[in-house]
Amino acid sequence: MSLKEVLKEEPHTGYMLANEAIVRAALEADVKVAAFYPGSPQTEILDTFERVSHYRDDIVVEIAANEKVALETAAGAAFVGLRGFTSMKSVGGNVASDTLYSLAYTGVKGGLVVVIADDPYAHSSQSEQDGRWFGYTAYLPMLEPSNPQEAYEMVKKAFELSEKYGSVVLVRTTTRVNHQSGLVKVGKLERTPFDKLSWKENRRSYATVGSLARKFKAELLEKIAKMKEDPEFLALNRVEYFDGKEAKEVKPEEAKGIGVITSGVSYSYVLESLQKLGGEAYVLKLGVLNPIPEKLIGDFIEGLDKVVVVEELFPYIEGFVRQIAKERNPNLEIIGKKSGHFLEMLEYNVPIVIKVLAEVLGRELPFDYEGHFKRMWELAKLAPPRMPTFCAGCPHRATFWALRRAMGRPENYYLANDIGCYSMLALEHIGWTDSLLAMGASLGIAHGVQHSAQERVVALVGDSTFFHAALPGIVNAIRNNSKMTLIILDNAVTAMTGQQAHPGSPKKVNPYEKRIDIESVLRGLGVEKIVVIDSFQARKNIGKLREALKYDGLSVVISRGDCALYHFREYRRAGGKIVPYFVDKEACERAYNCIRDFGCPAIVIDETDLKAKILPEVCVGCGVCSQLCPHNAIHSTAILYGGEDKPYVTIEDYRELEQIMLRRGGQ
Amino acid sequence: MNVIYCGVGGQGIVLMSNIVGEACARKGIHVVSGELHGLSQRSGSVIVHQRIGEGLSPLIPYGEADVILALEPMEALRYIYFLKPGGTVITNTRLIHHPYETENFVKGKIDKYITYEEIVENIRKSGAKLYEIDALKLAEEAGTALAQNVVLVGALTALPDFPIDKETMLEAVKASVPEKAVEANVRAFELGYKAVKELL
Repeated sequence: MSLKEVLKEEPHTGYMLANEAIVRAALEADVKVAAFYPGSPQTEILDTFERVSHYRDDIVVEIAANEKVALETAAGAAFVGLRGFTSMKSVGGNVASDTLYSLAYTGVKGGLVVVIADDPYAHSSQSEQDGRWFGYTAYLPMLEPSNPQEAYEMVKKAFELSEKYGSVVLVRTTTRVNHQSGLVKVGKLERTPFDKLSWKENRRSYATVGSLARKFKAELLEKIAKMKEDPEFLALNRVEYFDGKEAKEVKPEEAKGIGVITSGVSYSYVLESLQKLGGEAYVLKLGVLNPIPEKLIGDFIEGLDKVVVVEELFPYIEGFVRQIAKERNPNLEIIGKKSGHFLEMLEYNVPIVIKVLAEVLGRELPFDYEGHFKRMWELAKLAPPRMPTFCAGCPHRATFWALRRAMGRPENYYLANDIGCYSMLALEHIGWTDSLLAMGASLGIAHGVQHSAQERVVALVGDSTFFHAALPGIVNAIRNNSKMTLIILDNAVTAMTGQQAHPGSPKKVNPYEKRIDIESVLRGLGVEKIVVIDSFQARKNIGKLREALKYDGLSVVISRGDCALYHFREYRRAGGKIVPYFVDKEACERAYNCIRDFGCPAIVIDETDLKAKILPEVCVGCGVCSQLCPHNAIHSTAILYGGEDKPYVTIEDYRELEQIMLRRGGQ
Repeated sequence: MNVIYCGVGGQGIVLMSNIVGEACARKGIHVVSGELHGLSQRSGSVIVHQRIGEGLSPLIPYGEADVILALEPMEALRYIYFLKPGGTVITNTRLIHHPYETENFVKGKIDKYITYEEIVENIRKSGAKLYEIDALKLAEEAGTALAQNVVLVGALTALPDFPIDKETMLEAVKASVPEKAVEANVRAFELGYKAVKELL
């Protein structure tokens, strides 16, 4: 990542990820308070902001307990008059939406910009939710960039528009925009010092209820109507004529024949397709998704015979086009999802878009994309699948191995999974999960299931998810005497998104942060049965887990073990070296307990003797596999240097080993 | 030039495209990259699309990549449908077996691991020009096994139609890796560069 591109004060052009360009834009806009909860595809915004905050003292950056609190933190700043910023993934928008819909009513004083990052194809999400409806249904302006340069420009513009209208401004992105890099031309980074303002001087009411709400609603309708006519908003949309080689800007009324309406990353697929086809067409590229520029669309389609609407997910724009066409051009042929040309699911790409455009323009495809894909796939499918899986040294793998043994027959249980690295338990091959829906949902679902199913119910939740959304479900389970076992996977960080800090984490973004202890929270709430286990003591944990599963009531197991990626990064920084394990080939009897149902990437089969082999470059020395071996064939390589047969994963232990090795003359 | 960078999560795939991106910035050459972060880090398959000089969208259309640069051979084959007919594959020669493959092995669903020869045979069948690089060996020779990705960036730079000069690429390498690892990475780059020059 190019932090230096984000921090460089002079105007320049740098290679940036859109998420970094967004941070640069917010910094140039003098944002003062930024708060986030991590979630793909927008996590790098948070990560970049966090790193920026180490270099600048004119900004507050926090990781909030969840997206709703993050939005409220940024909104609080904007109420007082400072600029606030937050971003969230599509489904994070659901968590924040309760406050968002009210914020639309109250408005803000300082600029408040909210990025909502959708994930078509559900690369790393539980659904392909379309966040464009947040803008429309909340009466909030929403912009959509199609590349890193536009992301930079629109976020900067969004702050101005936010203050002009005293309104939150939403910026909608998708994975292919957030995770797109390119050359971004940025302006000068000029910031003011962080000074608190006087609330007395800035006081106004942000209370919305009943008659107050109705007053706000009337104002809100006026605001959004004004935005629809505002040249500043309209300038974010663009009409282009593509002559077969390049695009030039034209007036909407000039459009005739065949037109295309698109926005976001789809715009780049449209333009690239037209280039390849050498086709002529008028293109309306929407930068504003709400309020939808109805007059502009009407002017654009009035003279057209056919219009192709290219947008991923919902036929959102298409719906407006169909409505507007009834009045402005009833004979217009509208090609989109309703006509069966495009899917309402998955991501698009050039081969998908060019196929439709070639048909509409009556041109030959320049290349047989589908045929080529099919022929090559016949060769490619030889490569075995490579799904994401638990890392070497991951505490979850050890916990799940022990849980499976404690259960004996997993089919006699209901397993309610949740959102985090442990979600991977639900993926193909392992596939050991009954339900997995949303952050913290395992608790409520498990409670309902324990009312209804004869089998014992087990709920899983991570430490970050515990604070994010599981607490109300836990309170509910305690209050209603739920008979279930909750397993809290405490790995010290929000692991899946890149090991960020959370309220229970030893890691901090700001020195003033306090660490909240999960066990104390549960004791305070009145949980009577709490079992704390060390995730890496897999064999010993079987009995403890069995006890928790048999408990007649709510039992909570806290499985503590640091995320391997986080732990070993810190360990290496402190000077520790990895001490891997190895298989004693004399003792190995090919029982494969270390492989079956364990799946560590460091353990493979040695094809020369069909015995297990540990890859020293992958193994981190957690030593869990040695507990699984019935023939005591797995040991720490420390014994080869005179050390003990135990994991060397703490810096203290490693120092001891170093001393032993030094005494032996560094052998 | 369209380049697919691929490999296994954790191998430093995004760094490869970042180095080339940085070099493009230095030369003022148009560049667009499509990356995937997140889930794919966990030993999963990782792919980055990069359009250098031309190409607007962040995804290379099927059959239009000039080069596949793979840190792992199975990943080169997995994405072979992106390669243009007669395009170039530069692949590391060391296989990384996924734990599911190993599990299938002990459960008797397969009776051997897939071999490098089988993978490479299918890459050849696609009509690709193939350059095989033992990146681990070269990276270790350069001083750090972690520099396998930079070995491959050197290899990519040696291709005759690669649009950026070697000096600019070296500057970009220096600017993109941690300070204390600059020397080893420069050596890694040179070794990768030399390896492909010899194969040309």
